[in-house]
Amino acid sequence: MDELVKAITAALEDCELVLGWARDPATGAGRPERFTSAGQAQEAIFDATCVHNLAVHLPRLKQRRVGIVVKGCDARSVVELVVEREVERERVQVIGVGCDGVLDLKRIWRRHGYGVAIEDDGETLLVDGSEVERQPLLQHKCRHCLDADPSIYDVVVGGRTAEGPEPRGERQELAERFREMTPSQRRDFWRRQFARCIRCYACREACPMCFCRDVCIMQTQVPHWAGGEVNPKEAEMIQLIRVGHLAGRCTGCGECERACPVEIPLMLLMEEQNRALEEMLDYRAGTDIEARPPLLTFDPDRDLWGDE
Amino acid sequence: MADAGKGHACGVRRRGRDDEIKLVGFLCNWCSYAGADMAGTSRLAQPAALRIVRVPCSGRVDPLLVMKAFQEGADGVLVSGCHPGDCHYNEGNYYARRRLELLKRMLPYYGVEPERFHYTWVSASEGGRWAEVVAEFTAAVEPLGKLHYAGGAPAAAAGEEDGDG
Repeated sequence: MDELVKAITAALEDCELVLGWARDPATGAGRPERFTSAGQAQEAIFDATCVHNLAVHLPRLKQRRVGIVVKGCDARSVVELVVEREVERERVQVIGVGCDGVLDLKRIWRRHGYGVAIEDDGETLLVDGSEVERQPLLQHKCRHCLDADPSIYDVVVGGRTAEGPEPRGERQELAERFREMTPSQRRDFWRRQFARCIRCYACREACPMCFCRDVCIMQTQVPHWAGGEVNPKEAEMIQLIRVGHLAGRCTGCGECERACPVEIPLMLLMEEQNRALEEMLDYRAGTDIEARPPLLTFDPDRDLWGDE
Repeated sequence: MADAGKGHACGVRRRGRDDEIKLVGFLCNWCSYAGADMAGTSRLAQPAALRIVRVPCSGRVDPLLVMKAFQEGADGVLVSGCHPGDCHYNEGNYYARRRLELLKRMLPYYGVEPERFHYTWVSASEGGRWAEVVAEFTAAVEPLGKLHYAGGAPAAAAGEEDGDG
C-alpha cells in the first residue's frame, strides 16, 4: 500500500519512530513493527491480518515524538490514553487506516494450518486459495463494530470497502449464552474458565489501558489483593482487578481476550461493564478527547441511583 | 466447607456456624458507624449476622474490598455512608455512589446475586433507620443462603462446554 508507506515516510520527518505493521515472513500475516527510516518504511503493510492494537506501546514511549498507524478501534485507545493523560496528543502523529474488520487468525490457523496463505480484499476472503465465508472468521469485536473509521487522525490512508459503520452481523453465540445465565450459573462458568488461567498476565500486557506497569496491584505484596497461587480463586481476583480498574477506560479493543493463551472469554465482563457505564453515565471510553474519566468525577444532580 | 477452619485475616470464615449467613458491612466513621452505634445504645433489636468494618468514608470502599469479602466467605455485603450532600469530606460519597452503582450492576455477571449487595446512606442520628436497614438486608440475603463464591467444585449440573474458539 504505497499511500501508507508515503504517510509513514512523511511522519518520520517529524517523528523518531512510527508504529505500524510489517509482513511476518513466518506466517505471512501482519506483525507490529517500529519504523525508523524511510527505507524500512517500504515494508509497511495494512490488511485484515493486522490485528494488533499498537496503542499499547504509546504509554511506554512517553516524552518521544512517535507516529502510529491505527484502525478505528485503535484510535479509540489513543483518545482514551489522551483522556487519561498517558499520551500527549501533540507528540503523536496518528495515521488512520480504513478497516473492513480484522481476522481471527488463531481460528483460521487452527482450521487451515499455521501460516496458511490468506488473501483478503475487504469483501472476499481466500484461505489457501479457496474462498471462505469472511464474517465468521473476523475478530468478535469486528462483527459488531461501531468504530470502523478512526475518530482522530492526522492523515487517513485508504478507505473501507464494505459499507457503513453500522453493526455488521450478530453477536457471538457465547455472549448470548452468558447473558441468559443466572448468577449462580455464571459463578460456575467463571470457576471453570479461570481454572485454565496460568497467570501469564498476557491480558494485562496486551491492554493499552493497563499502563500502571510495575505498580500493578495484581502482583504487589502490600496490599496483597491476589495471592501468587495458580488457582481459579486468585485468577478470578486478578480479573476482578482488571475489570474494576478498566471501568471507564476499556474501549473494547479485545486485545486481552486475543492475547489469552488459554482462551478465557475476558471480553464478556468488559462488554457488560461498558454497557453498564453507557446506561448509567452515557459514557463510551475513547470517543471524546475532552472527557473526564467517569469514575474520577461526579455530578450530584445526575447521579441519583440508590435510595434518596 | 472443606477449608472452614483455615481462616483468613478478616476472620469472616471462622466465626459463626457454617450454615449461618455472614454479612459484612463497610460503614463510614462519621455517619453510618455513629448511626449503628446509636441503634446499639438505643437497644434496638436487629439481626446479628452483620459484621461491621469501620472505614473513614464510603469513598474509601474500593469495589475490590466488596469482592474480596465475597471471596473470603461473606454471603452479603452492605456499604453505608453519609447521605449525599452530608459527606464529612464533602464529596467522598459522590465518588462512592458511581463506583458502587457500577459494582451493583456488574455483580450478576461476576456470579453474585444482586440482592447480596446493598449500598445506602444512614446518618448519625438515624439509629432507627439503621436497625431497619440491617433487618431488611438480612431478610433479603437469608433466602439465598450461603454463597460459596470462591473454592468448592463447580456444580455438576452446569457441566457443558464453554470454550468458544
